[in-house]
Amino acid sequence: MQHPALEVREVQAGYGPINVLWDVSAAARAGTTTTILGPNGAGKTTLLRAIMGLVKVRSGAIEIDGQPRTGNATWDMVRDGVILVPEGRLIFRDMTVEDNLLMGAYPARSRPRAASNLDDVYQLLPRLKERRRQLAGSLSGGEAQMVAIGRGLMEEPQIFLIDEPSLGLAPVVVDEIFAILRKQKELGRTIVLVEQNTHMALSLADHVYLMQSGRIILSRTAGEIDINHLHDLYFARETAT
Amino acid sequence: MFELGLQAIYSGVLTGGYYALVALGLALVFGTMRVINLAHGELVLLAAYVAYSAEVHLAISPIAAIPLSLVVVSLVAVLVYVLLSHITRDRELNSLILTYGLGIVLTNLMLLIWSADIRSTTATWFQEGAVLGDTLYSSRSEVIFFLVSLVLVAGLWFWLTRSWHGRAVRAVSSNRDAAMLMGVNPRTTEVLSFLVAGLLATFAGIALYTGKTIDPPLGHALTIKAFIITVLAGMGSIPGVLLGAMLIGITEALTISFVSTSLQDLAGMVLFLAVLLLRPQGLFGFGTRRG
Repeated sequence: MQHPALEVREVQAGYGPINVLWDVSAAARAGTTTTILGPNGAGKTTLLRAIMGLVKVRSGAIEIDGQPRTGNATWDMVRDGVILVPEGRLIFRDMTVEDNLLMGAYPARSRPRAASNLDDVYQLLPRLKERRRQLAGSLSGGEAQMVAIGRGLMEEPQIFLIDEPSLGLAPVVVDEIFAILRKQKELGRTIVLVEQNTHMALSLADHVYLMQSGRIILSRTAGEIDINHLHDLYFARETAT
Repeated sequence: MFELGLQAIYSGVLTGGYYALVALGLALVFGTMRVINLAHGELVLLAAYVAYSAEVHLAISPIAAIPLSLVVVSLVAVLVYVLLSHITRDRELNSLILTYGLGIVLTNLMLLIWSADIRSTTATWFQEGAVLGDTLYSSRSEVIFFLVSLVLVAGLWFWLTRSWHGRAVRAVSSNRDAAMLMGVNPRTTEVLSFLVAGLLATFAGIALYTGKTIDPPLGHALTIKAFIITVLAGMGSIPGVLLGAMLIGITEALTISFVSTSLQDLAGMVLFLAVLLLRPQGLFGFGTRRG
């Protein structure tokens, strides 16, 4: 059986003296969309940041296509094609929209195709093209999220990690963002999506993980999910079996 | 009267070019790393002293000494960066303290090596007069290094806005974590900033050496000048450095011509304070501090 595109095994990670992730094991198969759900503080963002090398992994393993990548620096993960669209977008507020997108093409392997990738992103996200010379800090929440996603796409992701794209956005805008993600899914991208908006997340997912207090408490393929059972677990009305 | 004023403005503009050259390296590091390198003036002076030694011991002109100065200044600049990179907390304050101390160390090293005697270039060609349109006078050095300054300001601006590494430098300054997610190694970018600052300091040092006399205390005075112009320009603004430098230069020159030579520094300072009172963020600075 082929290795999963991305796998974490019994990962413990945290911030300073505080451990956040406890023996977290999960895998994302190539070409699929894996969704990680869970309430605030469950450790979903910490998991993605640990994969990207922004949070120190204390024990456990992170593998890309079966190759060990634990402890890699963030820029090395990017070089291997693991791209994160972070929670809160983290766009470069005092740079223009176009400069933000061009920064996405910074990894050496993406630079040769920067111009054509930029055209593709502008086609996909025409609103960004209109605002290409505008300072990113002056954009609305939805537009900023588009910049963050567009910037991620410029990096030519092999594995596309997306952290809470719907956070703080109006429902109409959330629909737009998810349409963009659905398009990426249809193009066959390997996506790992962290979301609190369970309805949207489940509509895209091939596989679902539910996290709570730093642990994975549920792992199911999307077809097997009983939404009521999921919500019971989510709100800890019952414990996982 | 009018000619006197015109000459003063012309001199002021040329001096402004030189000041911009001195300030540019400090402005770059300040704008991209939020670090005030108080040893910057000493780097400029070091470049001048290397050119002096090259002239005395190797009999080469100050222009030919540029590569040599560049190597020495770059090494010291990287050393300053390495020391700065060990600061883990309160970087803005602690880097002030560290670089201030480094400035003192460098000044005294230069004093040890070259003594307190005032030095100047023997290539008097640079100090000979150059006339523009039969009415405006300056030295050749002033004109040459004004042009060099324009080229370097433009070059730096293009590098920051159009090149991959320049863009990466701006990205790290804007949001360090996000830059890392773009595949940028912030350490590499910061070393690069310091190296570019060293390059700019080298040219400023050669301009200093060909145009004026040098002695060890000058490093401190240069740092202060560079700092004032950087703050006047507004944090992170390269065009602002050129404009601010010229405003100071013109103010000083007009003061020399119409008031008194001894009040030139005071006039520059008054202008500085006046601008800050009206525009605390500097000429081209952003209104609010980004998070």
